[in-house]
Amino acid sequence: MENIGALAILLAFCLAVYAAVASVAGKLFKKPFLGASGERAVYAVWILLTVASGILVYSLMKGDFRLAYVAEHSNQGMRGIYKFTAWWGGQEGSLLLWSWLLSSYSVVAVFTNRRKLRNMMPYVTGILMTTEAFFLMLVTFVASPFQVLMAGRGIVDAGDGSGLSPLLQYWTMVAHPPMLYLGYVGFTVPFAFAMASLITRQPGDGWIHTTRRWAIVTWLFQSTGILLGAGWAYAVLGWGGYWGWDPVENASFLPWLTGTAFLHSVMMQEKKGMMKVWNIILVSATFFLCIFGTMLTRSGLVSSVHAFAQSDIGNYFIGFLAVGIAAVAILLLNRLDFLKSEASLEGVVSRESSFLFNNLVLLASCFAVLWGTLFPVISEWVTGDKISVDAPFYNRVMVPIGLFLMFLTGVGPLIAWRRSSLESLRRAFLAPTIAGAALMAVLAAFGVWQHPYALISFGLCMFVAATIVIEFWKGATAIRAKDGTNLALSMVELTHRNTRRYGGYLVHMGIVVLFIGFTGSAFNKNRTVEVAPGDSFQIGRYQIALANSQDGENSNYIWRKITLNVKKEGAAIATLTPERRFYKASQESTTEVAIRRRLREDLYLNYAGVSKDSQKAVIQAFVFPLVSCIWCGYWVLLFGTLICLIPPKVRLQYPKTEVVGIARKHAVET
Amino acid sequence: MTPAVQRVGMKLACLCGTCKNTVGDCPMLMCHYSMPAREQIAKLQEASVSDAEIIKTIVREQGVQALASPPTEGFSLLAWVMPFAAIALGLLFLSWFIKRQRAHAPAAEVDPRVLERYHDQIEKDTARLDQ
Repeated sequence: MENIGALAILLAFCLAVYAAVASVAGKLFKKPFLGASGERAVYAVWILLTVASGILVYSLMKGDFRLAYVAEHSNQGMRGIYKFTAWWGGQEGSLLLWSWLLSSYSVVAVFTNRRKLRNMMPYVTGILMTTEAFFLMLVTFVASPFQVLMAGRGIVDAGDGSGLSPLLQYWTMVAHPPMLYLGYVGFTVPFAFAMASLITRQPGDGWIHTTRRWAIVTWLFQSTGILLGAGWAYAVLGWGGYWGWDPVENASFLPWLTGTAFLHSVMMQEKKGMMKVWNIILVSATFFLCIFGTMLTRSGLVSSVHAFAQSDIGNYFIGFLAVGIAAVAILLLNRLDFLKSEASLEGVVSRESSFLFNNLVLLASCFAVLWGTLFPVISEWVTGDKISVDAPFYNRVMVPIGLFLMFLTGVGPLIAWRRSSLESLRRAFLAPTIAGAALMAVLAAFGVWQHPYALISFGLCMFVAATIVIEFWKGATAIRAKDGTNLALSMVELTHRNTRRYGGYLVHMGIVVLFIGFTGSAFNKNRTVEVAPGDSFQIGRYQIALANSQDGENSNYIWRKITLNVKKEGAAIATLTPERRFYKASQESTTEVAIRRRLREDLYLNYAGVSKDSQKAVIQAFVFPLVSCIWCGYWVLLFGTLICLIPPKVRLQYPKTEVVGIARKHAVET
Repeated sequence: MTPAVQRVGMKLACLCGTCKNTVGDCPMLMCHYSMPAREQIAKLQEASVSDAEIIKTIVREQGVQALASPPTEGFSLLAWVMPFAAIALGLLFLSWFIKRQRAHAPAAEVDPRVLERYHDQIEKDTARLDQ
């Protein structure tokens, strides 16, 4: 069985190389049959990788402990769903998942464009399959999931495995890695179309129109993956943190930032024919940061609890990145004449300028995170001293940048395209500014002034939320006045008329809600206590009493639960049962926290262990104000992004500024 | 942990190798790094050693990596400067870009004040339409 899997991967690698070469050669030498066979090879790669993945999953589910990968990442006691997730629980399997996802995306891209963009598609196929071949080279020759356990010349059956890390046996971990990979891998498609557009000197913005939905969906997957990871950390690690600025977490955040900048910046190209070079740079940067993130998780370049086992696989990634970045730079320089702007910036205070600032701040955030992630390596290389760059550094650098970004989120939609007059700015900004300032004044009166960043953040959140509500209100009331429908239906109609614009506003609202959740962390409370049955303790508004403890065991782990009765202002409100587990296969213990989730605040209880005399339970109790807003914000963001994907009722044509007279002369000269 | 220990601990990295927290907020009860570090801080505080001296002592023992964030001196200063320098450079580039773009914008052949009046009128009319 494992031989069929290994053979399937090897054949897939050969076919990916063939697809890349044949599709481009077919175009260059005008041999349509070659191009067609190259495209068909893309389908064959997918079939072979599906077979290989199926065999690996079957081996994991069945418990074929002759395979090193199965023995290292699963065991008999694990639940079926976690046996399945072991597919991406280790280096080799996750690389296979990467390859399979890319081949799936490639099949969709090739199939949906089989009668379109015939000039570009050979190059799109070539770039997708070159990337595929790189990953399949790793899976075939460097990190094969089908290695068997050997003793001398014989194959050994380990009988049972060491199991997936207990920390990964949690429901969000079922979805977090695939979502993140769907995001990482997905940006290969817009990148491939952008490069193909450059190579073939396509007129217009064809690649942007073709890949707009790809980019949005991919961005959504990235956002979902990041939030699922945050949800996992919050619920599993036992201290309520959802973001620790770990290098691997940062690696997922970097392409999200450039991807977000790209989604904003493409609007400039679509509507004004501007920023063409910049968009190519952004989509390339996003793609390369996805590869960089994949490398960071696997290379051991930086130390991280999330990283796979260290290996020399990073050298291959560095080679791929170096060649890829050099190729893109050369191509870009060669095609600069083709990427000239069709319009100029007409006003400093304009929507165009706000997009430029938005891009600047997003890129600065990306640079700051990248710099912080790599600085320990750079510092050790230059000075020989190891240094730590932990959360305090990121909080001091990123909080002001994040607040400025939030400010721009509110300002951007208020400014008109081309230019805005002072009068229109005053009209647009007055109400949101008053709303933000009023909230700040009220909060300051309640003592929030002691946390200046939190105060500013709440004020900005109100400012941005007000701008969005006013935008919806103005549009909906205009429709209501004309059509006579009620306000709710008018809002639906308004959104349907321009799904991208109003979906975008909803995404911004989601970001506002997320920021409210982040800001709540300024008011966290925590307490660690040792309590015996019958004892109670207080945290915040809650009085918590330990009732009893229970022990048990199943095939995977031994567990002990404690029952805690929670009262608020004398009234019983909940019974929570945090748990400790000891996993037999991995000999690791974990905690299963108990959380009482409410919009206002979460009560988070962790059964951390027993006291030195073994008579008392050690409980870590936390109160996390507003943390639920983070998860609610995600749902709003998801809803807004899905709206953006719905075709608008009114097909919008964007009139571009015509370049005439003196400006045309300048444009030609530059 | 007393607030005084936490105050100093927040400036020191937990070097246990499994978390990215500080000594002041590492939540692991049996952490082999944070627990002894907190005890050391408490002892030094009992001996009336200042916060700065405590941090210096721990850095002397563990190296500069004991600090939760890079020191603001020597090469490490770059860690702090570069993100903001990048923003400053970006702003400079942006102002150059906007100036250059504006220089190439179609030249207005009418008095700008007249244009401004028309723009205001258009926006007022549009706003009225919205209502």
